[in-house]
Amino acid sequence: MDFTRIILILAIFLASSPFFQSDALGQESDDVKKELRELRQMMEKMQQRITELEEKNKALEQQAKEREEEEEIKEEIVVKEETVVTPSAPQPQEPQSFLGKVAQAINPEISVVGIFAAAYYSLNDPVVFAEIDPQNTGVNVQEIEIGFQAVVDPYFRFDSFFPITNEGIEIEESYGTTLFSLPLNSQFRVGTMRAKFGRINQIHRHNQNFVTLPIVAAEFLGEHLNPTSIEANFLVPVPWYMELSASGGSPDVETQTFQRSPDANNIGNLLYIFHMANFFEVSDSLGVNLGASFATGSNASGPDERSNLYGADLFAKYRPLRDNPYQEFSVQSEFMWRQAETPEEELEDYGFYAEAIYRFAKRWNTGVRFDLTDTNTPVTEEDEGGEVIEQAGISQVARQEEEEEEGMLGLLGRAYRISPMLTFSPSEFSRIKLEYDYLNQNYGPDQHAVFLQFLYAIGAHGAHPY
Amino acid sequence: MKRHTILRRLIICVALAVVSAFFMCGEAGAKVNIVTSVPDFAAIAREIGGDKVDVVSLGKGYQDPHFVDAKPVYVTKLNRADILIYNGLDLESGWLPILVTGARNSKISTLNSEGNVDASTFIANVLEVPTGPIDRSMGDVHPRGNPHYLLDPRNGIPVAKGIAAKLSEVDPENASYYDENYEKFAKLLESKIKEWDEELAPYKGTEIVSYHKNLEYLSEWAGLKEVGFIEPKPGIPPTPSHVAELIKKMKSMDVKLVIASNYYPQKTPSIIAEQTGAAFLSIPTQVEGEDGINTYFDLFDAIVGEITGALSEKKGAADHSYSGTEG
Repeated sequence: MDFTRIILILAIFLASSPFFQSDALGQESDDVKKELRELRQMMEKMQQRITELEEKNKALEQQAKEREEEEEIKEEIVVKEETVVTPSAPQPQEPQSFLGKVAQAINPEISVVGIFAAAYYSLNDPVVFAEIDPQNTGVNVQEIEIGFQAVVDPYFRFDSFFPITNEGIEIEESYGTTLFSLPLNSQFRVGTMRAKFGRINQIHRHNQNFVTLPIVAAEFLGEHLNPTSIEANFLVPVPWYMELSASGGSPDVETQTFQRSPDANNIGNLLYIFHMANFFEVSDSLGVNLGASFATGSNASGPDERSNLYGADLFAKYRPLRDNPYQEFSVQSEFMWRQAETPEEELEDYGFYAEAIYRFAKRWNTGVRFDLTDTNTPVTEEDEGGEVIEQAGISQVARQEEEEEEGMLGLLGRAYRISPMLTFSPSEFSRIKLEYDYLNQNYGPDQHAVFLQFLYAIGAHGAHPY
Repeated sequence: MKRHTILRRLIICVALAVVSAFFMCGEAGAKVNIVTSVPDFAAIAREIGGDKVDVVSLGKGYQDPHFVDAKPVYVTKLNRADILIYNGLDLESGWLPILVTGARNSKISTLNSEGNVDASTFIANVLEVPTGPIDRSMGDVHPRGNPHYLLDPRNGIPVAKGIAAKLSEVDPENASYYDENYEKFAKLLESKIKEWDEELAPYKGTEIVSYHKNLEYLSEWAGLKEVGFIEPKPGIPPTPSHVAELIKKMKSMDVKLVIASNYYPQKTPSIIAEQTGAAFLSIPTQVEGEDGINTYFDLFDAIVGEITGALSEKKGAADHSYSGTEG
């Protein structure tokens, strides 16, 4: 029994084993295979779809990119078109050079004025008072002035003038001016500037009427009085034009009258200048300027030695507008009186000049100037008999001493000069001037001089001061 | 001791200035203060501004606008200005900038200031803008074009419009008043231009010689043909050789009319006219250039009247070698 049972079980076992069910299983596996195939096909299809989609996506992305690029290009074109479409304002021309670009970026008005003079002096070693007066017989460079002028921003303008002479380059003026409204109708200027002292000190060489600087200006103010300072001006509310100005600063100036001493670190040792200008419009044709000035500061003989300089100025111009617009007659005069302390004594000097100019045609004018300086304490003593010391070059020796001794303040004595001139201005930008100077000094021989001055101006055309 | 007092005074001055800054306030209810460089703008501004404005011109009508003296008294006028109207195109470059700087008035002191009005910006068609390189060997050439645009009356309209717009900006309360005045002015000017055009029509194409290059706009409008200038180059006075050549040219072309603004020298033009048998006209070219010319309309009534008068006389007396001179 047990044996049969075992065989049965074995049979059942075997029967249930896959081996014996192979036929039935074979059918099923076929189905599976089919399904698998189908599945594989599906997967293949899906993969295809995926790759298709990927490709589509890529294409879309590319299209989007292209569109973006197109839009960018369009924008550029629009911008370009817009700039092309508005031609009403003239397009500024692109400056080619680097310097041109720099100039355009800061946009100042640039000007150059050259003054040259052919000179003849009767003395071998001529007496010359101002630094840029013609120095010798021959052809002289008087000055080459370079100017830069521009508005800085809504609040300031800035003007700079640099003269180049044989001595090198200098700062003649470089200052800012306020443009905004301030209380009391005031205006401030800060920088190095020709001080508002009298009249000629404010006039640049190329606008002056004569080749040489008046002796009084050369002696008392130097070539020009141009301290580095802060200046306040006020328009006074009176029926005529009145301007008051006050400035305080450091006297970096070439005059013995006022000089900065290295030991002076006291605010009281600075140079203070006060000026009052009045203008009266007598009629359309006639205008009169009257001014008064005062300057005080330490002088070349020491920081505690003070100089006081008083000035009075007059300018009158007659221009018959209705009758002959290019005719003009003007008179200009200045008087200065100087008190100067020195360790030894108190010096008192005075001087003045007066000039009359007649413009008889648009391009021609003529005029004459008389100028004089005198001192009651001459540095070089006059001969008691009133005889002029005629040793060769005595004034030159004295002058050299003056240059060597920084502290020397006094005048050499009395000197006067008469200068007639004739000017032809081919245009507003060039000028030829013929001038004769006769100089008389009570401490040296007379001097005769003849000048032929040439002036050229290029660049920006500055406005003419009255 | 002296030094200390000076310093003390200085400090007091500065302190006063600072303190008074706080008490300064705008003047209320006052008229708009207009300063113009030349009287033509003043005349137009008066038409537009009526009784709401005070107008003053610095240059005189009988004065060459290139060469006005920068009198200090003008600084005080500019100091009080709400609006400065100037011609621009460098006409006033020789005298106005220094006054504007001295004016210490932020309303007008820079190009960007509200009251700084360069009237040339209103003009659509500026003549003689150089296209090639220029330098001063050509005389006093204006690098941005011929500045005498108000001698074409058609340019009066945009200028008036610009002035009205500026006034409305500065004084918005009266904007409608300024607009009305502008409309009135423009309408009247348009009708006057038609009249003048008719008067000038018979003389279109007439060849003329003028003193300076300041009549270009007038000639273009009036249909006159400028065939020569008494100045050899702008701003350069006539030389004998140039005058001789001009006389020759005028004779060969049979030029009938010599015109000069009344602020130019009159002697040379009248001699040239005499020698060529042409008529010489010295015309006012700015408002107030002659007595009785008080408005922009008066100016063209006078100019057109004088030109047509001289040319009709010339026509009438064609057989005689007549040369009329008027002053």
